[in-house]
Amino acid sequence: MARRTFAFLIGLAFLTCPELSEAAQAEVNATSDAQFYTYSSPYGEPTVRRRRYTQTLALHVTDITGDRVAFEPDLSFRMRLRLDSDFGQLNAERDPNDAGRYVPGLEQSPLDVMYAYLEGNHYFDGHLGFRLGRQYVTDALGWWSFDGGLVRLSTPVYLDAEVYGGYEQRGGLPAMLGTSRYSGDGVYRGDREDLELGFYPHYLEESQLAPAYGFALESSGVHFLHARLSYRKVINRDAVIVSPFRAPDGSLLKMGGDRVSSERIGYSMRLSESSLGGLRGSAVYDFYNQLFSDYALALDWYVADKVTLGADYDYYYPTFDGDSIWNWFTHSGMTTMLGRAEYRHSRSWDVAASGGVRTFQTEGDSGSYRTESEALQDPDRSQTGMLSDVMGSVGGRYRWADGGVELRSMGEIGRRGHRVGGDVTTRQSFEGRYDASVILSLYDWDDALRPSRDATSFSYVVGGGYSLFERTRVGVEWEHAMNRLVGQRFRMLATLDFTVLN
Amino acid sequence: MNSRTLSNWLPTLACVVALLFAALTDMPDAGAKPKPESELAAQPSAPAAPRPVHGLAPLPGGVAVPLSDRPPGAFADDGGPSPGIFPPQKITIRFNHKKHVKELGIVCTACHDGAKTSRKSADRLLPPATRCDACHGSDHRDLNSVQADGAELMSQCGFCHIGYKAGDGNKVARFELPQPNLKMNHAVHFKRNIGCAQCHGNVENIELATRDQLPRMRGCFSCHQMPAPARGEARGGCENCHLTERGGLMKTEFASGKLVPPRWLHDAGHSADWIERHKQVAGNDSKMCASCHSERYCTDCHDGRVRPRKVHPNDWISMHPMAARQNNPSCTSCHKQQSFCLGCHQRAGVTLSGPYENFAGRGRFHPPKRDWTDPPRSGRHHAWEAQRNLNACVSCHTERECTICHATARVGGRGAGSGFGGQGSNPHPRNFRDRCSGALRKNARPCLVCHDPSDPQLQECR
Repeated sequence: MARRTFAFLIGLAFLTCPELSEAAQAEVNATSDAQFYTYSSPYGEPTVRRRRYTQTLALHVTDITGDRVAFEPDLSFRMRLRLDSDFGQLNAERDPNDAGRYVPGLEQSPLDVMYAYLEGNHYFDGHLGFRLGRQYVTDALGWWSFDGGLVRLSTPVYLDAEVYGGYEQRGGLPAMLGTSRYSGDGVYRGDREDLELGFYPHYLEESQLAPAYGFALESSGVHFLHARLSYRKVINRDAVIVSPFRAPDGSLLKMGGDRVSSERIGYSMRLSESSLGGLRGSAVYDFYNQLFSDYALALDWYVADKVTLGADYDYYYPTFDGDSIWNWFTHSGMTTMLGRAEYRHSRSWDVAASGGVRTFQTEGDSGSYRTESEALQDPDRSQTGMLSDVMGSVGGRYRWADGGVELRSMGEIGRRGHRVGGDVTTRQSFEGRYDASVILSLYDWDDALRPSRDATSFSYVVGGGYSLFERTRVGVEWEHAMNRLVGQRFRMLATLDFTVLN
Repeated sequence: MNSRTLSNWLPTLACVVALLFAALTDMPDAGAKPKPESELAAQPSAPAAPRPVHGLAPLPGGVAVPLSDRPPGAFADDGGPSPGIFPPQKITIRFNHKKHVKELGIVCTACHDGAKTSRKSADRLLPPATRCDACHGSDHRDLNSVQADGAELMSQCGFCHIGYKAGDGNKVARFELPQPNLKMNHAVHFKRNIGCAQCHGNVENIELATRDQLPRMRGCFSCHQMPAPARGEARGGCENCHLTERGGLMKTEFASGKLVPPRWLHDAGHSADWIERHKQVAGNDSKMCASCHSERYCTDCHDGRVRPRKVHPNDWISMHPMAARQNNPSCTSCHKQQSFCLGCHQRAGVTLSGPYENFAGRGRFHPPKRDWTDPPRSGRHHAWEAQRNLNACVSCHTERECTICHATARVGGRGAGSGFGGQGSNPHPRNFRDRCSGALRKNARPCLVCHDPSDPQLQECR
């Protein structure tokens, strides 16, 4: 079914694609990244060797129907494939017959189509646009990907409308060449084709496409205001094991049928005035959990030509895929409140600083919470408590014609520990072809729940690159980190970014 | 200070004093400083002239141009328009606009007549040198042999050409006015009766016009960002004015500079803390982001396979557990806990599931059992951590590990004292009962993980 749908979509894309015009332009880009590093369990063993090679191949065809004229109809096609190999894996880690080493879902060289879509814009006097294929949607509901079609209508009344439908991009369907990056979290799932029913029962089956659809209404043509209202629903279809434990008769209960994976509506808006500042706000309501899963407010005030003051309020309540039990373990959200200041001296240098607090609400005061009465079944939930972390950051940039230096530093301190540190990054190019970079980092952290894992880390990265010709660069980076937990750790990265234009 | 130290410092001191002296006395052999034009008469017989003070700068003596005379949208100390749009110029002509326009009554288009018909920014709109001849008495028709009226001071080459030396014949310093990286149709604006000052400011009040008199985008927006029905032909899309790459993506990198949005443009200034702030902007108006950035730019961080250094500092692999404990929600903007995090943690043997679930060499990850899981709850109890930051739990644990204790007895697990079956410790939040029936209707699967279908507690939610 999945394979057929994918083939159908690809076929549809080609059928709807008119004959290439002579004006059509193509750009092919390939990136190759090789990474070598090793990390160990905090207990010393096991050690995981990563010998990674990632290859992407992108095609971008524009002006398919003729020379592009601004605001006139145009058709383009974009596609990017990715192969992500890890030659450091052991064969046994992918062999379900080796229960002592097997890691469910692990693949040595997964291939995925990051995106592949045909896009048309400015049709019907500029009122219609569309996308067909694997594509992204970005809005208050997050950054998300699906396979299907999207139609965008522009109206003369300051309003655009979008409707879309298709299947959510998921990782467990090999025929769909997708990643799990965009599906709901909280569910451990993938391809169970080679696994017996009782083996890793909590690793759920993913063999059915997950239908998804949504719409959005968006303001347009009003410079001081931008608002977007989005709705999206995704449906789970797989028949999955319900309890990871066998029933007394030895069976494992399964359930199937259409059920909600996620159903949310989000709204975001920006109100700005170019000499005064801006106000941003967003809110997301989760229909499955029946609550607001996040909302945020940000205020920017242009105090002077070069000075901006700001304040952020952000509330986040963890929600998960509808199949996940963790939706019903979440008790309260975390709130972050920040004050910000930015000084932009010139185009060459600017600084920004922020400070604030992050609070976690809990049932009871965690500092003194110890009552015998709430041992098991029904703890006393009449009181609430609050844990707070204090946080801050300072960043700055100084840039010159062919280089720059950048500082990033942060600190977050609370009852559960602290993390404080910063990086200094310097980049310089030479003769327009060569480039070099150095990054120095110093961080210190402690974890109140794991005192043995406190450490101070110093690390540096030295890198260099050479531009063979325009849009093509080869580079290497060497990273050396040292802290008391791991001693010395090394990482090497080699990259090649190659672009050909027709 | 002993005499040896003093003798070491004396040469240094002498050098500093000499440098200061040279800097303050304008030594004739300083070289870098151009000679006053009065010394640069074109011909030996040219009349001597006083040292010129006009037309060398926007205002004499380097006085700052009042904001009211600068182009609309400029602000004090803005450093001029973007060098990415208008690359730096080298002006080697002395010219006094104020005198020509205000005192002599010459209108802009008398010299810049090309502006009336120009349709491209590449068009050169400066007047040809012959345009000056009628008044200045010079003859630029043959640039290889420019003639000056020997009796007329303002006819001399050095009167206008900065740095001209009499012995150089026809050689004058090169005038560099790079083509702007912008689309500009002057003719359309002229036809719509848009005056020069509406974009260039009050040039008639200043002497030398520099890059600073070139338009600012904020000024353009007084027409180009009006609501759609009111703006007429003055469209507001980026590609209306900006150069584009293939497919209409805005070109942002030029040899002379890089374009980034200013803060006043939809409150999207790419400040030093932009990476922490961009979520709100992109979530609200991703089409605006897509004016300059392709998917590739986003995916390289949000769905990348190489650690983005802008986000994760060096030695991230060592410190990420603490970062996740403090603020796991920021991890979820790129990583899925039950695939990306869990898979790696299983391979590293820190989880209760995966190949090392029974690994004897694994120490205890969390605080001692008496604090972490046993009743009564203490401030170090796992319930607190789950309430504080549930995402961090989900990045290591599978649902099976929670249901062992939290499932009701009839489902399974190995809860204490039950022999077979979970101990049913209630993990649900307050007000759960108000929401459970709706959730059960939409997706019963999470309920049935812990509750038997015939569980009376479940019946209450039906």
